[in-house]
Formats: sequence, C-alpha cells, structure tokens
Amino acid sequence: MKLLTKITKPILLTHWSQDLFITIPRIVCGYLLAFNFGAAKFGMPWSPTDNNLGLFEVAFWFPNDVANYGGVFAIAPGFFAWMGAFGEAIGGLLLLFGFQTRIASFLIICTMLVAIFMQQINNGLWNCLAAMGFLWIAMFYLILGSGRFGIDYLLILKKHNYEN
Amino acid sequence: MKTKVAISVCILSLFLTSCVQKTFKKTVVFRLNTSEIKEVKKVGIRGKDKPLSWDYDTEMKTIQKDSLYEITVTFETGYKFTEVKFVVNDDFEFKNEDNRRVVFSEKDTTFYNAKYNMR
Repeated sequence: MKLLTKITKPILLTHWSQDLFITIPRIVCGYLLAFNFGAAKFGMPWSPTDNNLGLFEVAFWFPNDVANYGGVFAIAPGFFAWMGAFGEAIGGLLLLFGFQTRIASFLIICTMLVAIFMQQINNGLWNCLAAMGFLWIAMFYLILGSGRFGIDYLLILKKHNYEN
Repeated sequence: MKTKVAISVCILSLFLTSCVQKTFKKTVVFRLNTSEIKEVKKVGIRGKDKPLSWDYDTEMKTIQKDSLYEITVTFETGYKFTEVKFVVNDDFEFKNEDNRRVVFSEKDTTFYNAKYNMR
C-alpha cells in the first residue's frame, strides 16, 4: 500500500501556475492517445463505429503488424498487440485525468519505445516524431506524477496532509 | 509460487490473445465507368486493405472497351468499410482529396458502381 501511495503521490512545483502550465501537454497527449490513436485500434465506447471493435478488442491488423517485428513479438503477437493498444487507449485516458499517472506513463513509454524502434525507425526520423513526442511527455510525467491538477493529487490530499 | 505465476501468465496471455477482433471475408465487385476519358489504356484500383495496396495498381478487367471496367476483390477484414481510389492511364482520381469509402453490404458481396473522378 505504501508503494502505491509512493507511485501515486505527485511532485508539486513551487507555484500552482507552474503545475497548471505543465498540465496542458498531459491533457492534450492523453486526449490524443485515448480518443484518436488508441481508440482506432482498441475497442473503447468512443471508437469509430465503422471500425467494428468490441469493447477492449484490439484491431485485427495490429497483431499481424506486431508479428512482423520478429523476435519475442512474433511468439505472442496477440498479447503484445493488445498490451500496446491498451497502453495507448487506457494509458492515454489515465494520463488525461492524472489518475495513476506514473503507471500510465510507464505503459505509454513501453508502447512508444516499441513503436519507435520496432515499427517506425526504418521509415526515417520524420515518421518517428509522433511516437517520440509521446515518449518525452510520458518520461516527464513518470517522474512528476499528475501535479496539482490530477486525480492522483486529490487522492493523496484526501489521505494525508500533503508534504512535498 | 513460480508455478502459480506461470499459470496466471499463460491464462492472461490466452485471454488477451482471444481479445483480437474477429475477421470475416467480404467480396466487393467494383465497376468503373470511364466514358468521360478518351483513349483508355490502363485501368487499375488501389486501396488500403489487402489484397489491394496504395503502392501499386491492381488491374481491372475490360467489360466494354474505353467505358466499363470491373474487378472482384475479396477482403479479409474486421472493419465495415474499405477505402479505394481508381487509377486510369496512371492518373489517380481525386488528387489531394479523400479516398472513396466503400461500406460493405451486410451480405457477403457488395456491388460498387463508380464513375472515374466523380463522387
């Protein structure tokens, strides 16, 4: 339980306006992952209806793509595809609301590293930029947590007298 | 303890693997009218789903020279639609515009009639 509290407790910046400022990329990236990139390949209630995805289903083409990465990915493509899509859609949603921000960031980091080094690296640096952008953002929130403007802060505030 | 973890991982893997979207076969008969074009030499189709590709033409069969071409394509897909563009004499239709969106019929075969470069 102590570990979960440690993972949840955000690092607060010196002034609330700084926390507010760095909340912007968290919300934008969380929204894009959960409602755009993730929802297109992972069944969420707001996934496009024509994509025909059941709840928490991964798109049929994604395991085939993952299998082409070779190595361990070819052994269990369904598992890795599901985890990757879950990392984007659910990880993005958690990041958006600042709920278990560090766990969400970790999921997103793993997914983006695979996207960069197994999928996009051969297509040139330009094609890596989107995944790299999400990777940098997730790396910052892995350290900082949600900041003042997230559910994590409210949970910790409710439990303890907050000491930064 | 290790056995329990291994069993849990196996069960979880099986569970997650089964959460892959189901695919089904959908056949589309594409029929293209090219009567507006003079001297039709080559007619093809490109698309986002296999066996079509955006990288190369899949040639269409001549039904009536210079005016009507056809191809039957079977997709293995989970989606309810596919996207295509027709190519005549190596010229793409709808340059810098959206692709044609072909929604699959509830039945196995969809008939899609189109006129080159017209919605």
